[in-house]
Amino acid sequence: MTVAQPTVYYDSDQNRRPLITEFRNFWRYRGLIKLLVVRQLTVRYKRSVLGVWWTVLNPILTIAVLWVIFSNFFGRGGTLDEPYIVYLSAGILLSTYFVQGVNSTGASIINSRNILVKMYLPPEIFALVTALAAAAHFILSLVPLFLLQLLTGVGIPWTVILVPLPLVTMLMFVTGIGLLIASAAVYFRDVLDITRVLTSLVNFLIPTFWTIGILEGKSALTLVENNPVYSYLVSFRLLVYKGVIPERRFLIMMVVSSVVALMLGVYVFSRNWRRVVVRL
Amino acid sequence: MEVAAPIEVSDVTLRYRLDRNRVGTVKEAAVRFVKRDHSYESILALDGVTFTVSPGEIFGVIGPNGAGKSTLMKIIARVLPPSSGRVIVRGSVAPMIELGAGFNPEFTARENVIIYGALLGRDPKFMRERVDVIVEWAGVADFVDIPVRTFSSGMKGRLAFSVATDIEPDILLVDEVLAVGDQAFRKKSEARMNELISGGASVVVVSHALGLVRRLSERVMWIDSGRVKMIGPAQEVVDAYEASG
Repeated sequence: MTVAQPTVYYDSDQNRRPLITEFRNFWRYRGLIKLLVVRQLTVRYKRSVLGVWWTVLNPILTIAVLWVIFSNFFGRGGTLDEPYIVYLSAGILLSTYFVQGVNSTGASIINSRNILVKMYLPPEIFALVTALAAAAHFILSLVPLFLLQLLTGVGIPWTVILVPLPLVTMLMFVTGIGLLIASAAVYFRDVLDITRVLTSLVNFLIPTFWTIGILEGKSALTLVENNPVYSYLVSFRLLVYKGVIPERRFLIMMVVSSVVALMLGVYVFSRNWRRVVVRL
Repeated sequence: MEVAAPIEVSDVTLRYRLDRNRVGTVKEAAVRFVKRDHSYESILALDGVTFTVSPGEIFGVIGPNGAGKSTLMKIIARVLPPSSGRVIVRGSVAPMIELGAGFNPEFTARENVIIYGALLGRDPKFMRERVDVIVEWAGVADFVDIPVRTFSSGMKGRLAFSVATDIEPDILLVDEVLAVGDQAFRKKSEARMNELISGGASVVVVSHALGLVRRLSERVMWIDSGRVKMIGPAQEVVDAYEASG
């Protein structure tokens, strides 16, 4: 008589298969990921009136300040077809998504240390949860942007239905870069500080409050144009208020950079996780 | 044909690398690189530990503080990967270690039960259905929609225990959790443990309560400084351990 053998649930010799293991975990733990994203969106604001809208307030204040300072520089002179405030808002919202996403995802593994050293969970899901929360904040911040577009008469073109393209590719981009930083941050805590400083320069590397026209004929132009984040920015602006489908080179740049960043981040994280867990 | 052992631990070693000068930052690492200072200490938390737990067996682990008992539990619970050696666990595991990790004080008992269950690998949908039973058993049904920050530590412990034992696991990992709650609850929780055990679950129990270990377990392993000192029938090993002072 044969006795049913229970399934092997855990074998420490079974190594991670980079990429396969992670994407399978993302799928397997989708219920938990959803719960944790909601938790992350609500916990900070449990006891506040404005609730989750507080996060939207931060970029709005940045926008207000930059608008007061720069509307005279960039708002006139005919370089822009659209009101400067709309141009500026779309730019700042996208760069905020990138900056906050990379920083919080980079810190996600260390911040989940309390859970990770006590119960078994694939750590990569905490990175995805944090990146998803950043994406959710970005989606929330689209509401005031849409209002602004309506108020200034720019309107909302049909191409907004394609905004998920920069949104999702940016999510992949942020998750990938975040995982790279998260792996390093376990060894060296100041990696997070360094990241914060570097990412704070993003608004100078891509035209968020300034216009690309001021670089005309300068060598810095190529630097900016070949920056992957630039392609997300251009595509987002075109889709969200211009009503234009972005040029193919921007679409290719977005898709390629997001896939490469995600694969690389997941791969490096996967190869290092054994050393990472013990050091947490 | 024999049923395979639910837990097989073979020659497991866990080595921590403790950098003597604690490289915690890029700056420090750069400074040390320049100074050519590569010294670090390696700490063996577990050293060549081997044992198996048979189906339905209650296996005790004893030893002084810092012997590696809790580390061993974390390795079986998959929290820490072994540096070398192999761990095989066959069956569903209810890890009763660090109960209540993952509770968030700002959320209600209901929300926490669902999240905690999901963190333990259970389906959130299933958890939603079980909430009422779980809080009822923990004796906090009246406070189900109140933030956990208002709970006493006893209430939190009971709630966590109730979630952890809500399923019928094949393997139960118990690390000193029987000390949760008051006398009445302790009785209730022991009864539930016995229920799970008589349901055929294998148990690994880590405890300083030698009487309890002697009474409950069939076999006991004594570890010290990460090494197995002795492994055998409960009475024999506990006696030897006690004799060692």
